[in-house]
Amino acid sequence: MTNTASFFRKHWKGYAFLIPIFLVLGTFKYIPFFNAVKMSFYNWNGANVKEFIGFDNFVRLFSDDTLHVALKNIGMFTLSGVVIQLTLPLIAAVLVFHVTSAKLQNALKVWFVIPLVIPSIVIFLTWQWIYAGEYGVLNQFLELVGLESWTHAWLGESKTAIWSVIFVNFPWIGGINFLLYLAGLMSISSELFEVSKLDGMNPWQRFLRLELPLVRSQIKLVMVLTIIGQIQSFENVLVLTNGGPGDTTLTPALYLYTTGFSYNEMGYSSAIGLSLFIILLLLTFINNKFIKNTEKID
Amino acid sequence: MRKNLMAVPHYGSLFTLLILTLFPFYMLIVSSLKYTEQSIHNFWGISFPLRLDNYSTAFRQIWPFIGNTLLISSAIVVGVVLISSLAAYSFVRFNYPGKQILFVLILSLMMIPGYLILIPQFLLVQKLGMLNTYQGQIFPPMAFGAAMATFLMKTFFEGIPKSLIEAADMEGAGEGQIFFKIVIPLSLPIISTVAIINFLAGWNNYIWPLVATNGDAVKPVILALSTITGNMDQGMGVQLAGYIISSLPLLLLFMVATKPFIAGVTSGAVKG
Repeated sequence: MTNTASFFRKHWKGYAFLIPIFLVLGTFKYIPFFNAVKMSFYNWNGANVKEFIGFDNFVRLFSDDTLHVALKNIGMFTLSGVVIQLTLPLIAAVLVFHVTSAKLQNALKVWFVIPLVIPSIVIFLTWQWIYAGEYGVLNQFLELVGLESWTHAWLGESKTAIWSVIFVNFPWIGGINFLLYLAGLMSISSELFEVSKLDGMNPWQRFLRLELPLVRSQIKLVMVLTIIGQIQSFENVLVLTNGGPGDTTLTPALYLYTTGFSYNEMGYSSAIGLSLFIILLLLTFINNKFIKNTEKID
Repeated sequence: MRKNLMAVPHYGSLFTLLILTLFPFYMLIVSSLKYTEQSIHNFWGISFPLRLDNYSTAFRQIWPFIGNTLLISSAIVVGVVLISSLAAYSFVRFNYPGKQILFVLILSLMMIPGYLILIPQFLLVQKLGMLNTYQGQIFPPMAFGAAMATFLMKTFFEGIPKSLIEAADMEGAGEGQIFFKIVIPLSLPIISTVAIINFLAGWNNYIWPLVATNGDAVKPVILALSTITGNMDQGMGVQLAGYIISSLPLLLLFMVATKPFIAGVTSGAVKG
């Protein structure tokens, strides 16, 4: 008894400062998390039906065609997202980095970042308007340049919908990745650029031999962030297409949302979520190993 | 000579990319100032008279929701800063058994994606009677922001000289005094970064209020955007004006606090 009393007299301050955060996290994150895990083993409609069914929900994942389409879709989103994020934002960062006037450089940096400041839903709604059928910006442009035959209901046709979602934010620069690349370039020692000048490298050689290898860690980071982000694609498709037409732009996260809230299959919905979470954990784990290994080789 | 030769493709491609990046926003602004009839005749350019009434019509429809969002986002910021600075202080100032585990317990929450706990969180908030309330839109997002905020604050607090805190301790200052009079005033840069990250996140929250509210009483502005309507003449312009109005507070924040703003968004990425 006296032991616990003296233990708390000695340490109570440290624990006391943690009480508020654990009250909030406990209630609104830990409890829901454990419930999500638990629910994935139940057939549950959120109200009166609730029976334990073991791994049935997970077995069902393997034969669910809709889910497989959704997985194929995020495969597309992820692949194109990686290609996009490794090219244009990097090119823009290099171009901005080599602007000689510091004032102009700063101004360009700020202007390129503006899309980051706009609420993402506003961006999605703006692009919905750009893609709109009759008075959409894109179709108006095509008519202006005499390509009427190319006009589409971009988000409404199953052939164009997924590419339209991918092309949102074109040219994809205004974002965190541009800033990350720029920060990486800024940290390269200026002596190296002097040397490259003396060696007579042209900008293309300088990019390949100097800049690209030295922003390698940023490229890796951007790749990981893009993969993790794209796998969780949710809001963009919810706002732009609601997964349609059909399920041509459906993603697993959106599928989880509709099975849960529209069809009240709370248990199955949780199983989808848990599986995605496990995939993400695995990817993070692989990535940690991968990065640590390459650093050792260096 | 060679430098000039390179300048043309360099600046040419740079400004092309910049124009492509900003073009949607140009169209947004230009079109928000037109009536439908002006849009049909002059789709691409500025068209006079500028229809500022599109803005007043939009503003009349969304101002209560802007108020809701301001209230909710600010409350999230205050909550996150408070609970995470207290936690970070505990981790930096004291030694006690289980400290490492408790820190990892907080950090590991960053791994849990929002949609995984969306449904149980909804059921919980329903059970607590918080659906359609401000609290219901404040506490769950607060829990999302707190993990990274604690991490950022802890890192920053570790840089505050121990001698300063020990000196105050010697002079008999209590923990409350040390925390509020020494640590907090010295940590304003990280506090503003954390505040901006969470204000931005609060303003952008879409899915959670979509699930946790219905009706108009506590609806945030982001959810109100698709319901803005104008009269027959105004058409789409009113809706576009609404998009711009709802972005202005964040743009304003960006302009007055560019540095912590950029620090905030990038630190959000680096933790991944």
